[in-house]
Amino acid sequence: MENKNRDKVLEVKNLKTYFFTEDGIVKAVDGVDFEVYQGETLGLVGESGCGKSVTAFSILKLLDYPGKTVEGQILFKEDDLLKKSEEQMRKIRGKEIAMIFQEPMTSLNPVFTIGFQIAESLKVHYKMSNLEARKKVIELLEKVGIPIPEQRVDEYPHQLSGGMRQRAMIAMALACDPVLLIADEPTTSLDVTIQAQILELMKTLLKQFNSSLIMITHDLGVIAEIADRIAVMYAGKIVEYTDTRSIFFSPLHPYTFGLLTSIPRLDMEMEKLESIPGVVPDPLHFPEGCKFHPRCGFATERCRKEEPSLLEIENGHIVRCWQVDRVREEAKKIAFTRRLAVVE
Amino acid sequence: MLSYIIRRLLILPLILLGVTFLIFCLFSLLSPMERLATYVNNPSVLKNPQAAQRLIDKYHLDDPFPAGYIHWLKSLLKLDLGWSATANQPVWEAIMQRLPATMELVLYSIIPVILVGIWLGVISAVHHNDLLDQTIRVTAIIGWSLPTFIFGLLILFIFYGILGWLPPGRLSTWAQYIVYTSESFKHFTHFITIDALLNGRLDIFWDALKHLIAPIITLSYISWAYLLRITRSSMLETLRKDYIRTARAKGVDEKTVIYQHARKNALIPVVTVAGMMIIGMLGGVVITETVFTYPGLGFWAASSAQQLDYGSVIGFALLFAFIMVIGNLIVDISYALIDPRVRLE
Ligand SMILES: Nc1ncnc2c1ncn2[C@@H]1O[C@H](COP(=O)(O)OP(=O)(O)OP(=O)(O)O)[C@@H](O)[C@H]1O
Ligand code: SF4
Ligand SMILES: [Mg+2]
Repeated sequence: MENKNRDKVLEVKNLKTYFFTEDGIVKAVDGVDFEVYQGETLGLVGESGCGKSVTAFSILKLLDYPGKTVEGQILFKEDDLLKKSEEQMRKIRGKEIAMIFQEPMTSLNPVFTIGFQIAESLKVHYKMSNLEARKKVIELLEKVGIPIPEQRVDEYPHQLSGGMRQRAMIAMALACDPVLLIADEPTTSLDVTIQAQILELMKTLLKQFNSSLIMITHDLGVIAEIADRIAVMYAGKIVEYTDTRSIFFSPLHPYTFGLLTSIPRLDMEMEKLESIPGVVPDPLHFPEGCKFHPRCGFATERCRKEEPSLLEIENGHIVRCWQVDRVREEAKKIAFTRRLAVVE
Repeated sequence: MLSYIIRRLLILPLILLGVTFLIFCLFSLLSPMERLATYVNNPSVLKNPQAAQRLIDKYHLDDPFPAGYIHWLKSLLKLDLGWSATANQPVWEAIMQRLPATMELVLYSIIPVILVGIWLGVISAVHHNDLLDQTIRVTAIIGWSLPTFIFGLLILFIFYGILGWLPPGRLSTWAQYIVYTSESFKHFTHFITIDALLNGRLDIFWDALKHLIAPIITLSYISWAYLLRITRSSMLETLRKDYIRTARAKGVDEKTVIYQHARKNALIPVVTVAGMMIIGMLGGVVITETVFTYPGLGFWAASSAQQLDYGSVIGFALLFAFIMVIGNLIVDISYALIDPRVRLE
């Protein structure tokens, strides 16, 4: 892949983050590997509860109690973040790695103006004065497409619409020109037209700032728009990892396959959607063998007993499944016009 | 913000009218004769029907409802609240004379309660489940579960009865003599501790303080425990909020996260509770002053109630209601000061 000669910004190796709850150990992230190259967008996809947010919080070391990263390496510009002190992490958070959160409604502090909240990272990292910071904030607000920024800068979050708040969050994340941006479902809570606008904005800004992005979502439509490569997660592990085209044209994992056939498309007749049957397994009682087997149409006896490992099946196409060949055949049979439409 | 305060001030007279109306309704439950008793300083008048009738007419005690209420309001505005048999002086004078003692007690209780209660509440939340948190919480739970009068009696028993350190009353006899009869002792604020310092009398200051410590502790323990509890749980809840993670993700240091981002939000519910609590403290004043025979409004109100001295009781009720209304106003304004969502409504 072309990425191979670019600089690696982030490399996550065998990351394991567990929650030590009273009911038992929740293995929210259980051995995740991926890398992010300079200027590219990596999509992290999976159903609710599969460990996407926990992966993101592990990178910034902002886990909620009782979460703890028990194993692995997070190499950021070749330095292991897991070895860094809280003090050193603070210098990285917001400056080198910034994050955009899922809920613009609750992720902004209701008692401070958005101007204050955006200026904060400028003051923390660049020691800017109030006046300098304010000027920069107004510039940023303008860049993220907030009208009348001179006025908005002094408004409180509750005075802004959901879309505007998310724009403010983006401005906040981009304030210090981060090398890596992590967006945790930035459009999920917005309505469809606003979603499209925000995605468009993010694409434009990414080019402008030349930042890398980890885009977390459960919406393959969103990921198709923006990602260069995709990692599909299921029950705390990566099950398929390759470039966006391969995911959409030749998925090799039954879970990805299931996700693809359940994308709703507005511009198509509502044919019956085959959503994946069953529910996400309870993290306290994961099934034996392949964790997907209770929901998998391809499952065999072996799947119930032995867990497959991640293998590079084709050049740069990594999959965790015993039945790759059958999935490939099945995927070929299905007309992929709808997926095509998604990607183009 | 300004318009919010003005709006709140405009409805103030309405609320006061409602409150006085309720108290007047209670007052009307008494017969004209009983009501008359609250206005005369010489009980023998009541035995002479003609003289009594003249006074009933003078105070419009027999008038039908609206006229009677209006006349009563008018006399209130002239600060004519009747005669306090317990204090043997007009009710208004009795109130004004005892107010400084009570204010001294209440202010010295409230300020530490608010500062220490909130401070410890925040610390307790930050050190969630540590030994420090556990200690603070156990102390608070004790305070929270001991009724004021039992706690007061315990303090009195230990620190006066056994140790003899903290005597009841407001001053020792020798100090009283100087403060109330000597020409040279000037009363600037009517707070004895402060006046003593201003007069350069450290001995009197010390004496007044010794009398204040036990009632202050008694009065504030329960409120302190309550405020701490509310602050702690509010702070714990706030620290779990998404915007706290946002602040940390910006690289903001932990101190700023806790004392700026979290505390300001956590204090929003605390302000409401603290306001109500301080108002509720006035009830504690009655008990505390009675336990320590501290000569303030509460002590006077309790003795008046025992002697069925209606005039004093009504006067106390009016004052209490007035303080409640003003207290609520202050709470609402401080609420608006910290929460922009209220301010900008
Ligand atoms: N504070 C916590 N205590 C215990 N378990 C937790 C905690 N936070 C997350 N988990 C567990 O970790 C797992 C992964 O959660 P995570 O929030 O990463 O999911 P997600 O993929 O981001 O889902 P969503 O799409 O809903 O945001 C879940 O099973 C969840 O129960
Ligand atoms: S290993 Fe078996 S159960 Fe698991 S995804 Fe592949 S086919 Fe399905
Ligand atoms: Mg999530």
